[in-house]
Amino acid sequence: MSVSEGVTITKTGEHGAFGGELMTVNFGPHHPSTHGVLRLIVDLDGEQIRRVTPVIGYLHTGIEKQMEALRWQQGVVVTDRHDYLSPPINNLAYALAVEKLMGVEVPPRAQALRVIMSELTRLSSHLVWLGTSGIELGAMSMLMYCFRERDTILDMNEEISGFRMHTSYIRPGGMMADATPRFLDLLNDFTRTMPGHIDEYENLLTMNPIFRSRTIGIGRLSPEDAKVLGASGPMLRGSGIAWDLRKSIPYSGYENYDFEIATSNDCDCYGRYLVRIKEMREAVKILRQALDRLPDGPVNVDDRKMLPPPREELETSMEAVIHHFKLFTEGYSVPPGDVYVAVESGRGENGCYVVSDGTHKPRRVKFRSASFVNLQALERMALNHMIADFIAIIGTADTVLGDVDR
Amino acid sequence: MSSRGPLLPAENLVIERGVSAGDAWITVDPEKIKTAMQSLKDDGYRLLVFVTCVDHLADASRAWPGRYELVYELRNLDTKDHIRVRAFVDGDPPHIDSVSDLFPPANWDERETYDLFGVVFNDHPDLSRILMPDDWVGHPLRRDYPVGGEVVEFSEEHQTWQTAPDEA
Amino acid sequence: MGLEELAESLGKNILTTTLGKLVGWGRGNSVWPAQFGLACCAIEMIATATAGVDIARFGSEAFRASPRQSDLMIVSGRVSQKMAPILRTVYDQMPEPKWVISMGACASTGGVFNNYALLQGVDKIVPVDVYIPGCPPRPEDLLNALMILQERIKAQGIMPRQ
Repeated sequence: MSVSEGVTITKTGEHGAFGGELMTVNFGPHHPSTHGVLRLIVDLDGEQIRRVTPVIGYLHTGIEKQMEALRWQQGVVVTDRHDYLSPPINNLAYALAVEKLMGVEVPPRAQALRVIMSELTRLSSHLVWLGTSGIELGAMSMLMYCFRERDTILDMNEEISGFRMHTSYIRPGGMMADATPRFLDLLNDFTRTMPGHIDEYENLLTMNPIFRSRTIGIGRLSPEDAKVLGASGPMLRGSGIAWDLRKSIPYSGYENYDFEIATSNDCDCYGRYLVRIKEMREAVKILRQALDRLPDGPVNVDDRKMLPPPREELETSMEAVIHHFKLFTEGYSVPPGDVYVAVESGRGENGCYVVSDGTHKPRRVKFRSASFVNLQALERMALNHMIADFIAIIGTADTVLGDVDR
Repeated sequence: MSSRGPLLPAENLVIERGVSAGDAWITVDPEKIKTAMQSLKDDGYRLLVFVTCVDHLADASRAWPGRYELVYELRNLDTKDHIRVRAFVDGDPPHIDSVSDLFPPANWDERETYDLFGVVFNDHPDLSRILMPDDWVGHPLRRDYPVGGEVVEFSEEHQTWQTAPDEA
Repeated sequence: MGLEELAESLGKNILTTTLGKLVGWGRGNSVWPAQFGLACCAIEMIATATAGVDIARFGSEAFRASPRQSDLMIVSGRVSQKMAPILRTVYDQMPEPKWVISMGACASTGGVFNNYALLQGVDKIVPVDVYIPGCPPRPEDLLNALMILQERIKAQGIMPRQ
């Protein structure tokens, strides 16, 4: 089979509805619409899809092995990069897992800042999804509008951490640094202007006859199938099942915020679009509440065994020098044990399973990837649809190949 | 996460049980993994969150019953409980029964565990490499497989770019 | 009209140059990239194409999906062992003259990941013209790299790269 977007005709021996043979088409890893390097081998009967075989591994980065070679605090940098559309949420899963093993809890200000970063990231991730899905279905202006708002969010990321995308801002033990006043101002303006922008996107798409005809009835995933296949996130909520980790198994103080779970009983691409739009609105609501109630106080855990002392203390305290030295040469050791923490990312349940053998490096870090499991539902959604609809279905699954392949 | 820990209908399947950082876990005999998983599924733990493996080569934190620890995390969607099922296997390659007919999400997870650790799942519908190229030799996430890449001068791992200590 | 006036009016209306400079100017100002977004850098590459930063001002209006119609390959993202032969195949399918920008730390040197799974730099399999450091680099960095490449193309003239 050819490796780029060629067409190869192979005799599969199976027959289509009108007696012809099935044709195998390769949606090669280099393809404009697969949202990353995903290879799909599709058996077609005319224009209708009879079988889909995803082939993954084209972005396998060995992140889990890399983390075994890095110390606990160094590993945060690498966790940013597997689900690259929502880096702070990945950081949060890893940080919560390590903190659980260490038996520490971060102060309330850090929890609130973590909620703020998670919701900003959820918005940024959904904006990328909306922009790229729109452009694949022909709505080019969606890309321009969504990335304009995303740029505002990235400016906020840069203000608070120095990085636009891979912030590494949420770390085990707290945060990299406190929020600056300019960040809080930018966030204030953002929460006031964003609902208007979401209205703009809805004006373009929600009642648009072309968008509706391309997404209504396409990619049906029944609630039973969604549960059996282990789908999570908008794939599950778009089929009517109200399961959101932020409400069901709350973490980082989410139980204190007032928001709704977005669901849709449509079970198709249009339903999932509505779910994600609603999630964007709820994210702005949570941001507003978090900003209004942001508590004062430290952002880091007060544990010298885990976090370095402030530099002024090094001039006066020998113990501080010893802690500083130990942390920056060997790093802290985590007590033996294992823990699994799951957080709700834009795609669904992103979890971190950490195994410690008591040393200063992890024994095993496994990322439970929402996209990896959601991708297994692709075949069920795509059967008997046409190729053009297949593009809409791949878009609605919202898979990030970095997360699938790690 | 809550950690009440289930009462397995067939209690004789549980070799050991415990709680780690708030997560309840049980150890079962790898020969009886399918019976145990079926019993948990009937008890309401119908969602398989992930399947993975941990390699305990040269791990001094406790006496491990086997080198490879298969870990299955199950969730009960009604009570929101979690349970972690462990099974220890040994061998080259180690074998264990596949649970992909009970839990469809296990299909790709088991392929990934085979690819990266070399654990063979009996009766799996399609046990082939999923992340590494098809002709790759070796199982990268085993502890005696080097991290690879380029050697970095003056780093502490300059000579042996490995994760396993010398006595491994 | 005297001869001097004729020469003067002709001088105002005729541009003289070399063929090399003309070809270089044409090629440099209409570089069409092939979409080769692999990972996180691809998102910043898409952001470069959007309205805030707008790579279309520099001639790269059309990101072609087919390598046969493009002359620049922007390798944006990490290249795994499985992807390497495909990257080489797509590079071979591009017609001459062609250039490669290696965007980001992973494409240039392997980046944060020094392990078995990644190529430690895409220049192990394709010749690279411009490297952009960063993880991921800002959209303005990509524009800077494109401008450096354009200077190089204009200096090359007609002869293809040896």
